[in-house]
Amino acid sequence: MDYSGRGAAALSASRGSIAAKTVKGFSLSPSFLPSSLSGHAVICRRLPCSDRKTVKMKIWTSEHIFNHPWETVTKAAMQKYPNPMNPSVFGVDVLDRSVDTEGRLHSTRLLSTEWGLPALAKSMFGVTRTCTYVQEHSVVDPKQQTFELQSTNISFTNLVSVDEKLTYKPHPQDPEKTVLTQEALISVKGVSLSNHLEGLMAKTISVNASKGREAMEWVIRRLNTEIEELTATARGTMRSPMAAAVADK
Amino acid sequence: MNSVGEACTELKREYDTCFNRWFAEKFLKGDRSGDPCTESFRKYQRCVQAAIKEKEIPIDGVDFMGPNKDNDRR
Repeated sequence: MDYSGRGAAALSASRGSIAAKTVKGFSLSPSFLPSSLSGHAVICRRLPCSDRKTVKMKIWTSEHIFNHPWETVTKAAMQKYPNPMNPSVFGVDVLDRSVDTEGRLHSTRLLSTEWGLPALAKSMFGVTRTCTYVQEHSVVDPKQQTFELQSTNISFTNLVSVDEKLTYKPHPQDPEKTVLTQEALISVKGVSLSNHLEGLMAKTISVNASKGREAMEWVIRRLNTEIEELTATARGTMRSPMAAAVADK
Repeated sequence: MNSVGEACTELKREYDTCFNRWFAEKFLKGDRSGDPCTESFRKYQRCVQAAIKEKEIPIDGVDFMGPNKDNDRR
C-alpha cells in the first residue's frame, strides 16, 4: 500500500474528501515495511478492520446533482432496473420489506448479475458459473426526504468485499434538484492492494457510477413519458364523451 | 425485470406494479394508510425464497456498513 502523499493525492483526486482524510497522515512507503503487516497494523488503528490480514479501504467517493426533485429521483431509483446501461443485471428480487415505527420503508433486495465472460471467469476464479449476487438494504424516509442504499457482494466473498453506499437527498439550496453521494469500500482478503490496483478499482467504480447516473436519467425520462402518455390517454377518453355531449346538443 | 427464479417473474411483476403505485402515490406523499400489496408480496416471496434455496444463493443477515456503525465484519 502506498501511503505516501502520492497515494493520498490519487484518492483525493476522485473528489473523495473522506478517502483523503483516512489515508492522509501516513507517510510510510511500502518499500521498507516488512510484508504488509506493519502497514495493516497502522491502518487498523484508523480504519475498522475485522482482523489484521484484512484491510478495508474507502477508495472512492463522489457527489452528483440531478436536475430533478427528490421524489422523482427516489421513484426512479426504486425502479432502476432494467435499463440499457446495466445489461448484466438480469434479476432484481425483494427479499423483505417493511415500514418501521418512524414511517421509514426498509427493503432488502437481491440483485443478480451475469457477466458474459465465462472463459475469463473460469481462468480467474476457477468457476464456470458467472452469476454474481449483490444484496442491498435500503431505507426511504419520506419525512426527512432521504433515500439510503447500502449494497455488498455475496458472491466471491472469500476473495473480495465491495460495499457501496448511496444517499439521495434534496439539494439544500434548490428543492428541484437532488444530491447523490456515493462511496465504495473495498476489502481484499489477505492481500495488500497496490496503489495501481486501487487506482484501477477506483476508475472502474467511477465509470460504473457514471453509467449508474445515466441509467437514472434514462429511468426518469421513461417514467415521465409514461405519465405524459397516461395524461394524454385520459384527456382523450374524456374528450370523446364530452364531444359527443356537445354534438348531441 | 425478471426474478432470479424464472417461475417467479410473473408474481414479481404483479407485486412490483402494486408496490410502485403505492410507493409513488401513497408512501412518498406521506399517506400512512395500509399497504395493499401484502397478498401479492406473500405469493411472490414463497416463490422467490424457494428459488434462492434451490440455487443456493448465499443470502444472510449481512452486516452493512452504516453511517455510525463499526464496519467490522467478516
